[in-house]
Amino acid sequence: MTLKFVPSICSYCGTGCGVLFQVMDGQLVGTLPMKTHPVNQGKLCIKGWNLHEHITSELRLKHPLLNTFGRMTKVGWDDAIGFAADRLKTIVAEHGPDSVGVLVSAKITNEENYLAQKFARAAVGTNNVDHCARL
Amino acid sequence: MAGLAAAFGSGAMTNSYDDLETAGCFFVIGSNTTACHPLIARRIYRAKERGAKLIVADPRGIQLSSMADLAVNHRLGSDVALLNGMMHCILRNGWEARDYIDSRTEGFAELEAAVADYPPERVQAITGVAVRDIEAMADLYANHGPSALLYAMGITQHTTGVDNVKSCCNLALLCGYVGAAGGGVNPLRGQNNVQGACDMGGLPNVFTGYQPVTVPENVEKFSQAWGRPLSDKPGLTITDMVGAMLDGRLRALYVIGENPKLSDPDWNHLHHALKKLDLLIVQDLFLSETAQIADVILPAAAVAEKDGTFTSSERRCARIHKAVEPVGQALSDWEIISRLSTAMGYPMEYAGPSDIFDEMASLTPKSYAGMSYERLGLDGLQWPCPDSDHPGTPILHTQSCARGLGKFHAIAYQDPAEMPDQEYPYFLTTGRMFAHYHTGTMTRISPHLDAEQRRGYVSIHPADASKLDIADGDLLVLASRRGEMEAPARVNANVQPGCLFMPIHFGENPANVLTNAEAYDPLAKIPEFKVSAVRVAKAPEARP
Amino acid sequence: MQKQVRAWLEDGKVDVFLAYKMDCGHPLPHAFTRERIDETEDLVTGPARYSLEKFATQIAARHPEKKIGLLARDCTQRALNVLAVWNQLPAEQVEPLPVNCCPSALKPHADCTYLEAPATGEVKIQCGQDPRQSIEAVDAQEGPERFARWMYEFQKCIKCYGCRNICPVCFCKDCSLEHPDLIGTGNLPPDIPIFHLVRAVHMAGRCIDCGLCEDACPAEIPLRLLYGKVNAIVKDLFDYDTGASDALSPFSILGDKPTLTPAPLLAVSQE
Repeated sequence: MTLKFVPSICSYCGTGCGVLFQVMDGQLVGTLPMKTHPVNQGKLCIKGWNLHEHITSELRLKHPLLNTFGRMTKVGWDDAIGFAADRLKTIVAEHGPDSVGVLVSAKITNEENYLAQKFARAAVGTNNVDHCARL
Repeated sequence: MAGLAAAFGSGAMTNSYDDLETAGCFFVIGSNTTACHPLIARRIYRAKERGAKLIVADPRGIQLSSMADLAVNHRLGSDVALLNGMMHCILRNGWEARDYIDSRTEGFAELEAAVADYPPERVQAITGVAVRDIEAMADLYANHGPSALLYAMGITQHTTGVDNVKSCCNLALLCGYVGAAGGGVNPLRGQNNVQGACDMGGLPNVFTGYQPVTVPENVEKFSQAWGRPLSDKPGLTITDMVGAMLDGRLRALYVIGENPKLSDPDWNHLHHALKKLDLLIVQDLFLSETAQIADVILPAAAVAEKDGTFTSSERRCARIHKAVEPVGQALSDWEIISRLSTAMGYPMEYAGPSDIFDEMASLTPKSYAGMSYERLGLDGLQWPCPDSDHPGTPILHTQSCARGLGKFHAIAYQDPAEMPDQEYPYFLTTGRMFAHYHTGTMTRISPHLDAEQRRGYVSIHPADASKLDIADGDLLVLASRRGEMEAPARVNANVQPGCLFMPIHFGENPANVLTNAEAYDPLAKIPEFKVSAVRVAKAPEARP
Repeated sequence: MQKQVRAWLEDGKVDVFLAYKMDCGHPLPHAFTRERIDETEDLVTGPARYSLEKFATQIAARHPEKKIGLLARDCTQRALNVLAVWNQLPAEQVEPLPVNCCPSALKPHADCTYLEAPATGEVKIQCGQDPRQSIEAVDAQEGPERFARWMYEFQKCIKCYGCRNICPVCFCKDCSLEHPDLIGTGNLPPDIPIFHLVRAVHMAGRCIDCGLCEDACPAEIPLRLLYGKVNAIVKDLFDYDTGASDALSPFSILGDKPTLTPAPLLAVSQE
C-alpha cells in the first residue's frame, strides 16, 4: 500500500491554483486543493477538483503514431523522431528555415516553451514561433 | 498584451490576487469571472462582502451581474465607446487624479481631446447603455478607489482588441490607479501558462523576457549562448502562418499542445491551410481534431507526469511536480523537443527541467534571473525578480511605469468588422462555460465535467425564440458568411435580444465555422471571435 | 507524538499512519510507513487540516487488511464514529491518535483554524448569513428575510462540488447532486436553493461539523450553519447526537436485522 500527495499547479485556467495530486498504489486517484497555497487558499473550482480525470483518461495517446495515407500506424520513438527530423531537414534544405513554423503552447511548462522556441530559432533557424493564446 | 505594453511598458497583470481584495471598487468588463476564473471571482466576493463596489459590463447577463452594484449590457464590440463615455463623465466632473496625471503620465491632452467626442448621450446611442448608468459607472469607478479593472477575452478577441485594452489603461491612469494596491489593469489569462509561454519567447518577435529579435545585442547574446547564428527577422504570427500555409510559403508546422483546428477562427479556412502542409507534426495528450490530420503524432506527458514550472496571470512562477509515470510511452514535451532537436543535428542535452530553467533564467535578466527551483519552493515567485535576493514583485509600476511615464492613447470607437445586416441579422458571440475549458480536449473526457454539459448549444433570448418559433432544445441552423452549422437552442434571457451565444468547447458544433478569420486586430493579430453576424433558423424537421 | 507514531509503526500496531509533513513551509498530508520510518521525525500535527479520515476510508476500501493510524482531532473522532455507523470504515481497522484542538481559555491558540470566527464583512452581515451567528439567531429571522439571506449566499455558488468532495462523511457512489432530474446541469449558479438543500438533507445525521466544507467553499457560504440546523432537527426529533458515539443513526431504519415484514407485498400479490 502506498499513498502520497504531490504538490502541483492546476493546468486549466491562468489563475495558478495550488493542488495536491493524490496517488494511491501508484495510481492517480484524486486532486485536492492545497490548503495553505497563497493563490487558492484551500479552494478549487469544478475543473480543478477533477484535474486528474483528463490525465487518467483512456483516450490518452500512448504511442507515437505515423499517419500514412489516412492510416495511423503505431511506431517507436526512434522511428517517429527520425521521420519528423528527416522531413523537417528536407523542407528546410529545399525551402529555407522560414518555411517551418512552430506553435508553442500555453499548456506546457516554461521549460518546454523555452526549449520549443530555442528549437525553432536555433535548430531550425526561424522566428516563426507563436502560440494559440491569441485565440 | 500589446495594448498594456504600449501604455505601461509591461504586458502583464499589474496587481496580485491578494491586493485585489483591498480594492474599493471592481470594474469587470469582458470577463465571465465566476465561470472562467472562479478563484479570482472569490477575491471579488470577499472584497464585495467587506463593502467594495462592483461594476459589471458584459454583453451577456453573467453570474456576477446579479450581485453587482451596477451591471450593464453594452452592445457587443462597443467597449471603446463605453470606456470613453466613462472618461468623458470623469473629466466633466473633475474626478480625475490631477497630480498623478501631471507627475506620472504623458499624452493626457490627446486623450482629453479624444474623449470630448463621447458625451454619454452619444455613448448611449452606440452602446445601448443608459446615460445615467454611464454616469453612475464613472462615479463608482472614480470615487470609490482604488478601483481594480479586470478583463479577459471579452476585451481582447476583437478587431479593436488593442484599442480596447488601451482604453482600459487610459481609464486606470486617469484615476491614478496604476501602481496602487487594489487598483491596476488586470488581464485574466485563459490558459494556465499563457503568461509563461509569452515570457519564454513563444512569440515571433521576441526572445525570453520580451527581448526583441530586432535588437542586434539580443541576437548576439542568444547566438552566443546557443552556439548558432540566429535570425533578426521577426517571424510569422499564427494568424499570418495560416495565410503562408495557403500560399505555400509555410511547408511544415510543429504544433505542441495546441488544437488550433478548434481554437482558430474560421474552421474551414484553417482546415484547408493545414491540409496544404507538406508536414504537420502534432504533440499532444489526445488525438485532438488537429492531431487527426497530422503526419506525425507524438504522445506527451500530462501535468502530473512531469516536473517544471508554470507562470500564472499574476506573474507567479510556480513549480509542478511529477506524481506518476507518464502513460504508455508518452514523454515530457521537453524530452521530445530535445530528441527532435538532436536528430536535426542541434543537440540538446539536459539532465532535467531544472537545468533548462537555469539556462533560461541566465538569459532573462530583468524578470526571471533571480529565480531557481530552490527559491521557488511551493509558493513560487512573482516576476520581476532580477536577482537571487529579490523577493519578487506583487504590484507593478508602483514608483513609475516600466516604460517611465504611463502613456495615454487617444482612441476612437470603431464598429466591429461585421455588423448585423438584413442577410445576417443576429450578433453571435462565443465564450466558455464553467465546467469546460478551451477546445474541450481535456474536459470533455473528464466524467464529472462532461456530466455538466455534454453537447454544444446556442443561447437565444426568449423574445427572439418566440419570434422564430423556437423552443428550448430545438435544433437550430446557424449560418454566417463563412459557413453553416447546427446546434440545439437554449432559450435564455442572459443574452440580449438580437444576440446569440455559443460555447467554444464542442467540436461537433464548432462555433468557429461561423467566426471571422479575416477580421483580426492589426497589431495583436487576435481574431474577432467575439463578434460575427449570423442568421438563425430552426433546422428542417427531422423529428418523428 | 513523533515517537509514538514511530513506536506504533515499529510494533505493527498500525501499517500506515496519516498525518502531516512540512514541505517548503507547507504542511502537506503524508502517509507514514514502516518502510520509511525515519520520516516520522518530520511529522507535524498542523496547522492545516485535511480530510485524513476520508483518506483512511479510501485505503480501507482497497486494503481491508491494513491497520490505519491517523491524527484525530475531536471532529475526526466524530467522523470515525459516523463512518463506522454507516459501514464505511470499520472501527477496528483505525487507530486514532488524539491531538489538541479544542479551544479553551487555558490555550491561547486552539490548534484548529476552523473554530475561529472568520472575518465577516459589513455587506455580508447586512445581506447574507453571518457564519458567526447561532442557529437560534438564524431561526429568529423572519421567514422572507431568512430566505433572502440564504439566497444571497447560494447565488454566489460556482458549483465546484468542493463541499461534497472534501466531506469526510460523503461516501455515496452516486450523488444526488449529480442527478440531472433533480438538479439541472450546465448553469451558474446551479439551481438554487435546491442544490444546497439536497446536500443539506443528506447531511442529516451525518454532518460532524468539522468545517472542512465551509473552508473549501470559494464563495464562503456558511455551510456549517446550514448543516448545523439540519442536525438540530435530527437532535430534536430523535435525540440523536451525530458522531458523538457509534450508536446507530435514527436513519438506520433496518436496525441490526431487517425489521420490515414483507406482508404488504404479499398482500398485493394475493389479490
